[in-house]
Amino acid sequence: MKRKAVYPFTAIVGQEAMKLALILNVIDPLLGGVLIKGEKGTAKSTAVRALAELLPALTAVHGCRFRCDPAVPEHFCDDCAALTAAGKPLLAEKMKMRVVELPVSATEDRVVGTLDIEHAIKHGEKKFEPGLLAEANRNILYVDEINLLDDHVVDVLLDAAAMGVNTVEREGVSYSHPARFVLVGTMNPEEGDIRPQLLDRFGLSVTVTGEHEPSQRVEVIKRRLAYEEDPDAFCRRWEKEQTELAERITTARQLLPQGKISDELLLKAAEAAIALQVDGHRADITLIKTALTVAAFEGRTQVTKEDVKRAAALVLPHRMRRLPFEEETVDWEKVKEILDA
Amino acid sequence: MKKFEGYPFAAVVGQEKVKKALLLVLVNSRCGSLLIGGRRGTAKSVTARGAEEVVQGRRFFTLPLSITEDMLLGSLDLEQTLQKGEKAFAPGLLSRADGNILYVDDINLLRREVLAAVQTVHASGVNTVEREGLSHREEINFTLIGTMDPAEGTFPGTVLDRFGLYVETEDMADAEQRAEVIRRVLNYEREPAAFRKKYEEETSKLQLQLKKARQLLPRSEVSEAMLALTAQLCARAFCAGHRAELYLLEATKAAAALAGRTYVLPSDLEEAALFVLPHRMGKPPQAEPQEEEKEEPEPQEEKDALDRQEGPENNAEPRKEKEEEKTAPQELSPKENGEGSEQGEEKGKEEPSRAQQGPAPAEQVAAPDKKFPPLQFLLQGARSRQERRGSGKRSLTRTSLKQGRYVRAELPSAKVDDLALDATLRAAAPWQRLREPQGCSVTILKSDLRQKVREQRIGNTFLFAVDASGSMGAWERMKAVKGAVLQLLREAYQKRDRVGLLAFRRDRAEVLLPFTHSIELAQKALVRLPTGGKTPLAEGLTAALTMIARGNKAQKEQEPVLILVTDGRANAKSGATEPVAAALKAAELIKKAKIKAAVIDTERDFIKLGIAQKVAAAMGASYHPLRKLSQEGVLRIVENLEGEL
Repeated sequence: MKRKAVYPFTAIVGQEAMKLALILNVIDPLLGGVLIKGEKGTAKSTAVRALAELLPALTAVHGCRFRCDPAVPEHFCDDCAALTAAGKPLLAEKMKMRVVELPVSATEDRVVGTLDIEHAIKHGEKKFEPGLLAEANRNILYVDEINLLDDHVVDVLLDAAAMGVNTVEREGVSYSHPARFVLVGTMNPEEGDIRPQLLDRFGLSVTVTGEHEPSQRVEVIKRRLAYEEDPDAFCRRWEKEQTELAERITTARQLLPQGKISDELLLKAAEAAIALQVDGHRADITLIKTALTVAAFEGRTQVTKEDVKRAAALVLPHRMRRLPFEEETVDWEKVKEILDA
Repeated sequence: MKKFEGYPFAAVVGQEKVKKALLLVLVNSRCGSLLIGGRRGTAKSVTARGAEEVVQGRRFFTLPLSITEDMLLGSLDLEQTLQKGEKAFAPGLLSRADGNILYVDDINLLRREVLAAVQTVHASGVNTVEREGLSHREEINFTLIGTMDPAEGTFPGTVLDRFGLYVETEDMADAEQRAEVIRRVLNYEREPAAFRKKYEEETSKLQLQLKKARQLLPRSEVSEAMLALTAQLCARAFCAGHRAELYLLEATKAAAALAGRTYVLPSDLEEAALFVLPHRMGKPPQAEPQEEEKEEPEPQEEKDALDRQEGPENNAEPRKEKEEEKTAPQELSPKENGEGSEQGEEKGKEEPSRAQQGPAPAEQVAAPDKKFPPLQFLLQGARSRQERRGSGKRSLTRTSLKQGRYVRAELPSAKVDDLALDATLRAAAPWQRLREPQGCSVTILKSDLRQKVREQRIGNTFLFAVDASGSMGAWERMKAVKGAVLQLLREAYQKRDRVGLLAFRRDRAEVLLPFTHSIELAQKALVRLPTGGKTPLAEGLTAALTMIARGNKAQKEQEPVLILVTDGRANAKSGATEPVAAALKAAELIKKAKIKAAVIDTERDFIKLGIAQKVAAAMGASYHPLRKLSQEGVLRIVENLEGEL
């Protein structure tokens, strides 16, 4: 069966904040992922799946189950580390970065990995069978309805996200492997909360709402119909935009390591974090990293105040310290005041 | 072994107390284990893991939350057993960590049985395994380090007490310092190797300091006078038991050794006390609840009860802050509510002189009393039946669906539908020589089959049925009630419970909030709850029963608990039956439906009718007078703690 062409990312009407947040995470996978909050039918899943088309290629060790980066020995899995230690050369290969889906119903063993049943019975040996976290290493891990995820699966995600390593001590298997992934989650807030700890692990968050402008809504329907009618033809029509965006992302990825930010802006980010009484340091660190990425996406290496402001809209809302029962709101006046001072 | 390549310990900005505490336990494993608390994103894990580089020769073993018991304590070695035909022991994580460091992120989320096992082995230094036909005993000595975010729930006092040292990360309020944090993280992420190089010198200095301290430690001497001082300090902190002294002494020695001395100074003791005492400080014995009932619980006592329960936050210094935190939201709510015109009109009449007054006036909205002591004990009390037979933890439920965390394997009682392959293979392994080969290298018979035992943290369903009649509005009673319910909600938030809220007043019961996981909605509904009118207790109970029955069908796994808050003064007639009799009848239906329930009696009038107590009896519910809650709370907590040991 031929796979249906995926709806192009660039053909999504509006939802600029969501698109920007996703693109920024592709440019810098260390941003910490994005949480997309919104009602049903607001193109959340479409956007994430469409993102796959724009993902850059990555260089990985040939035959490695975890796609270790030959250039980053500090994140090697045990196999690659052993090969290097034995003085054997590692072959590199190019492969596409992927979106790995973690369904809400996933069991813990499928997520962290488990005992290889076949191998155990046939050979009487224990062998580790990698799970979704292994597949997600250096890829995007996508959890639809992440707020409905079982608590113990969330624990496991948190564990892995904290240090980029998945440690398995279960079912007779003792194993650990790199698990550095871009976490993308979607949720409908009406269906329950997400745990604050998990929330904090997301670098960015956006709230999407349906388009209210009638002309925009019409455009949404028109495109959708055209796509349903002939997906391939529809995709061809958007090819130019897709290529342009992909190129822009590639350029941004090259610019990012040269990104610079003034001490003054750095200090202002810190001041904003203090004034807003956010928990810990993730807010200000992510704010600056996001601002650097925004600048790179705009083709610059120097971060401007505007970049920081754009970043703030994605970084701050879900990080406000709040008691369990209080609304999360950002005092934007204060943020503006500090940044403009 | 892979070399440590993480963020260097020496490059962590600030957090001097955490660093010191880490160094203390790394110098002297007899200080007990170290618990690092702190809000999310305050470099708890980064600092703790960074310490791996400072201890040379010893390794950090990570204990994942998903660990199964066999992997923790040790089990049958499958390969060895198959090859040699005799049972062999495969060491668990604890054995592997012998002589090293065992590290647990989010240790407060670890299953309590696992934590208890780890703590027992850590304290006794012995691991005894009796499972899968194995009998194994070994001496194990490791350093235990855990981190936790108190927002996700804390430990009861006894569990906390078993940690030798406790330290909290500090919030950084200096912009320059914070900017430096950002700068360093950016530099580290861009060029890890170059960044690490910059801190090499400082790291080796720390390594040397630690090494020297470990060499000095065995020669460390403590004078009689210092011993006396140690004991005095612990006594002054009202520490129960003698663990405090031992840990304090060892930590003091470690502090001295870190300073390059074999003799200890009072300053070492002071330094060590900062980590050893805060989480185990008791309260003065005279504040223990007396047998006598008091008219009003003393505010101080209330606070003590609160502090005791809140565990790690009960040390002397943060106490002040906590108080500020607590009062701050309170200042807000009365103002908000005060703006309501109804409330404004009622202000003058809201004096205690209204004591004998009959039906209370129109509607009013009371602000929740946020100082109210937490009522965990109430929930525990309500569930004691299940606790005795079940796994013992409110938030954990055995589950027969193939969901939840695999915790251990057992002999199947019926058909095996959730095979525990690892345990099955281990059960089959010793017999392989005696069995006919079947083409695979392991021949499995039916008797080998093992079933997975799974546990799921699902929380419970709580239905709050709140009497919102006029009599409840009197004497700011509603304020206390709201405060109490709010505390329960907070608890529920941490445990991911489902809550529903139902109020009854005038002539009917009203569902203010259907069962939801969103505790925020519940809180909003509660704050807005108006009071006034008569008390239709029977209607309230019937509505509660209906709601639970409906909710329970949808969520079979969760056992509902009903919490009725009333003064029992049923006076709204429904049909021909007398109100109190109707209420008792409805209560009996609840008992029949085997719904776990608790009644909070808010009756405070001089002449007590005691109807709520009768209703509680009819419902088969536990009974708690509101006025005694804080005293009883303390008692219950003590009981619970004893039960856990």
